[in-house]
Amino acid sequence: MQIHSSYDAIIVGGGVSGSFMAQELAAAGWRTLVLEAGRSFTRTTYPALEIDSNSQLYWGGGVELNTSASLALLRPKVVGGGSIVNQALMDRFDDIALDSWKQESQVNFFNSEVLSPWYQKAENELSIQKVSEQYRNGNAKIFADGFKANGFICAPLTRAQKDCRFEDGNDCIRCLSGCPIDSKQSTPVTTLKKALKAGCQLISEFEVQKIEDKKDHTLVGGKWKNGGQYLFSARKVILAAGAIGNSRLLLQNDFKKSLPALGEKFYTHPQYMVIAMYDHEINAHKGPLQSYKSQDPHFRAKGFKLENVFAPPVAISMLLPQLGKKHMAKMKEITKMACIEVAVRDTNPGKIKINNQGRPIIEKELNEEDEKRKRAGMDAIHAIFASTGAREVIRGDLGIGLHLMGGCSLGADEKKFVTAPDFTLHGHRRIVIADSSIFPNAPGINPSLTIMALSKMAADQMIKEGL
Amino acid sequence: MKHGFNSLAVKGILKAGDVIIPGDTTMPRFSQTTFIREFDRISEFMDPADRSGFKLLMTLMAFMPSVVILFILKVASHHQKFPDFIGAILRQINLGMKGVILTMYYSGIGEQGDAILQKLNYSTAINTPVDQDIELENLMKQNHPLENYAPLNPKEMMLKSRQAHLDISALSLKERVAFITRLRLVLLERQEEITDIIQKETNKARTDIMTSEFFPIFEHLEFLEHKTLEALKEEKVATPIAMMGKASKIWYESMGTVLVISPWNYPFYQAIAPITCSFVTGNATIYKPSEITPLKGLVESVLFAAGFKPEWVQIAYGDGKTAADLISERPQKIFFTGSVGTGKKIMSQASQFLIPVELELGGKDPMIVFEDANLARAVKGAVWGAMTNTGQSCTSVERLYVQEKIYNQFRDAVVGEASRIKVAVDRDGDGDMGHMISPKQVQIVADLVKDAVSQGAKMLTGSSWDFKSSQIPPIVLEGTTHSMRINKEEIFGPVLPIMKFRDEEEAINLANDSDFGLSASIWSKDKARAERVARQIVTGNISINNVMVSEGNHHLPFGGVKDSGIGRYKGVMGLRNFCNVKSVMVDADSKKIEANWYPYSPKKYELFKGLTTSLFTGGLKKWTGLVRFGLPLEGHSQKAKRE
Repeated sequence: MQIHSSYDAIIVGGGVSGSFMAQELAAAGWRTLVLEAGRSFTRTTYPALEIDSNSQLYWGGGVELNTSASLALLRPKVVGGGSIVNQALMDRFDDIALDSWKQESQVNFFNSEVLSPWYQKAENELSIQKVSEQYRNGNAKIFADGFKANGFICAPLTRAQKDCRFEDGNDCIRCLSGCPIDSKQSTPVTTLKKALKAGCQLISEFEVQKIEDKKDHTLVGGKWKNGGQYLFSARKVILAAGAIGNSRLLLQNDFKKSLPALGEKFYTHPQYMVIAMYDHEINAHKGPLQSYKSQDPHFRAKGFKLENVFAPPVAISMLLPQLGKKHMAKMKEITKMACIEVAVRDTNPGKIKINNQGRPIIEKELNEEDEKRKRAGMDAIHAIFASTGAREVIRGDLGIGLHLMGGCSLGADEKKFVTAPDFTLHGHRRIVIADSSIFPNAPGINPSLTIMALSKMAADQMIKEGL
Repeated sequence: MKHGFNSLAVKGILKAGDVIIPGDTTMPRFSQTTFIREFDRISEFMDPADRSGFKLLMTLMAFMPSVVILFILKVASHHQKFPDFIGAILRQINLGMKGVILTMYYSGIGEQGDAILQKLNYSTAINTPVDQDIELENLMKQNHPLENYAPLNPKEMMLKSRQAHLDISALSLKERVAFITRLRLVLLERQEEITDIIQKETNKARTDIMTSEFFPIFEHLEFLEHKTLEALKEEKVATPIAMMGKASKIWYESMGTVLVISPWNYPFYQAIAPITCSFVTGNATIYKPSEITPLKGLVESVLFAAGFKPEWVQIAYGDGKTAADLISERPQKIFFTGSVGTGKKIMSQASQFLIPVELELGGKDPMIVFEDANLARAVKGAVWGAMTNTGQSCTSVERLYVQEKIYNQFRDAVVGEASRIKVAVDRDGDGDMGHMISPKQVQIVADLVKDAVSQGAKMLTGSSWDFKSSQIPPIVLEGTTHSMRINKEEIFGPVLPIMKFRDEEEAINLANDSDFGLSASIWSKDKARAERVARQIVTGNISINNVMVSEGNHHLPFGGVKDSGIGRYKGVMGLRNFCNVKSVMVDADSKKIEANWYPYSPKKYELFKGLTTSLFTGGLKKWTGLVRFGLPLEGHSQKAKRE
């Protein structure tokens, strides 16, 4: 197959890391191409109905399951990636997270002193605000009241948003499928837009299947939406397709032979949404979707965190264990539901493999320690609901994996890690990774801001090194 | 229903749907709704393996009583009581069935869906008015290297081009040249790959592509890198003595948008060379390749890799209609290379808008070999000059005139040389001559050769040709005359008519007996004679003791006379032809009133007359005149007033 075009840098994946790196490289004058499997949307074209947002914004037509079907993995497939479908919570990592990374990876720059300027640079790209308590909904109130009643500590969420205009009566639950007023700082309105303005090219609906290192360039190939196969060459390739995307692509191209740790150390911060029924209207879907997180050092030490959260009707209906008429009756009380999720800082590494069709196979379970963490979180949630007058608590048993991390973890030892401390793949100088797939373990904190900071750092190193 | 969901599978979905959503007093059961029609919206995005699994499951459900389905779902909801692998299957069945049904039921699709969400008392709103993000939509469209081939219409292209011209002309000459350097490096890196693409579209011999597409591109780019700054920098010129105190200069500025229309014979060279000329002179370019050899995507991709913005050079794919549409959008210059017929059409359309045209048209190039020439060299030169690029060059040798005395010997050697040519579309350089590019041209070659043969000409080689195949062998023709079409019209194929002449005078007459005048070659040991003859040939380019070399030197301008075209390109002169040559005079912002301004007076008239006479009589008078008339005239002009 002929090479369609050559670039200084090709970025596989147009999500958070891809967008941030594209911006830096394009601004430095690099001829840059972003290849993204998902479609591109703008504020007026995001799918409005759950049937379309689930199927069009995620891999697998909505969810992918681990091998035991106990975890639903939500893997974004859209230009802007996680920044479109997540809630854009922005937190720097604390010393607990960074120290454990340092210990695991033997890499010294995992400390707040070195990372602080990179966090700052990442934060400068976005409008970051504390979620205002003025417009909080009934769900947030229960969360705050329950925390207070139990002596737990919570804090308002910090979010990448510009102006949610709750005074207009906006319901932020809609921005789970892309913010229709561009308040959420999704990369198509921040770094990716800047990258495009600086001349970066973008092909959406392009699924990368091939990556091959040649003597002085790397080939990247795949399939476009028209079914056509295209091949590009690049002097540098940035893998920014996330834990599963990066691992799958490298596995498919036989990198496991030289990188034995490929696909290992996969973490997801398994999340469990617990619903409670109240006698009065809660309207958890109104106003700001999320307002608070736990800020309790005891929770952190026990390995979990809590947030008030909700989901639109289809997702809620999936979490309810009832069947038939009982299920329908419960759904009719959707406005009387409160919901808190526990996110576990998981310790049991999963494994990403592929089947002979190249489809990812995810082996990921909770071990005893993780179950303990989950139970501790559930207990705290029960206490919160009990203290605020809930008449019934419904424990969904389906875990959700939103923070997909690892698989190409970063560390000094090339036998145990995939990505070298300078962000290049061990033994492959032209392939760079700085997204969540390099996380050496689960930090227990929302990863987005750290992905941005690491991407900035990696791009800076690439530019300094030159082509 | 797409993806093979037949009526049986649909029946299964409806049945399972009613188990999951049996309906109640206020809400319909699943099969009472028309949601099943929306199933494609889900199945379209399912992984193929999941899809076929789900289809199988639903087909099974179609045969099961509802109670059995209910039982399965109940068991599935107690999955944790089963061993892991059964639990996993149960969970998958549970999630898959519920996922599909609940998604259709609770998504709020249409009026039915709205009514269901209303029953739940669930509604969400975004009340802040927003408009379309046109900027982002345009960026995504423009920066898409594959979508970009979706053609803009000529009007949109011209609009885009106007903006691009502002961007490009704002770049310094140095900055523009840096893009040329980058382009050279990109091309060097991609030689083999680009050669493959060109060869696929043209069926040329590989070496032809290397020597006549690639090599000259590099010569050209290097010329631009070395000469652009010098050729386009501000030029100071003399100021006449009567204008003393002023400064005079020439600025070589851009024109705006240059429309480049290129032929199919050298599709890559004829793209890159004019595009880069247009670019370094600060113009935006719209490039229309021949519809026969569009090399789709290639030019965009190399320019992009070199850092050109897509709007700087836009590619308009299409035929003559596209070209005509583009001309009506009034570009500032048309640079056309191609046939005489099309050239005339373009010029006539351009004349309506007074768009300057440069026409690089065909040729009927004569080669004159005198008896004192180095025969071995001239034979090889003649055959290569006629056959290279399968004769599809505007400067191919189309008429070979050999002096009587050496004619037979020369002819035999030409026949020998021509019959040794290896015709092949080779992969490794081991082929001399490729196939013809355009089927239409094959027909023209066939017609011309047949016409000549029917009037008594003889094919000394190439008689194996069936007059249809694009694999034309080298054809040497003897016995043609100037009354035959073959010596009047451009052949543009691997055909060499060989004729004899008596003396210098006859050679010149024969060579000039043509409507064309692109280039020619004279072969003789006697340099004085060669130059004497060369001066009398009416042509734009001429080579002495060589063939097709004058266009190889990128410092020389190139272009034809008569039907071979208008204008010159290449060289410093050619580069400046892409410019608006702006003449500038700068004077001081002083109090001085010029002598030729109002008011006029009898005195001023007399002084001017005296100055004119003395200035232009010559000799010393010039200087005395300046003192006698110039100074008083100056003085008078400062004071003169008309009451």
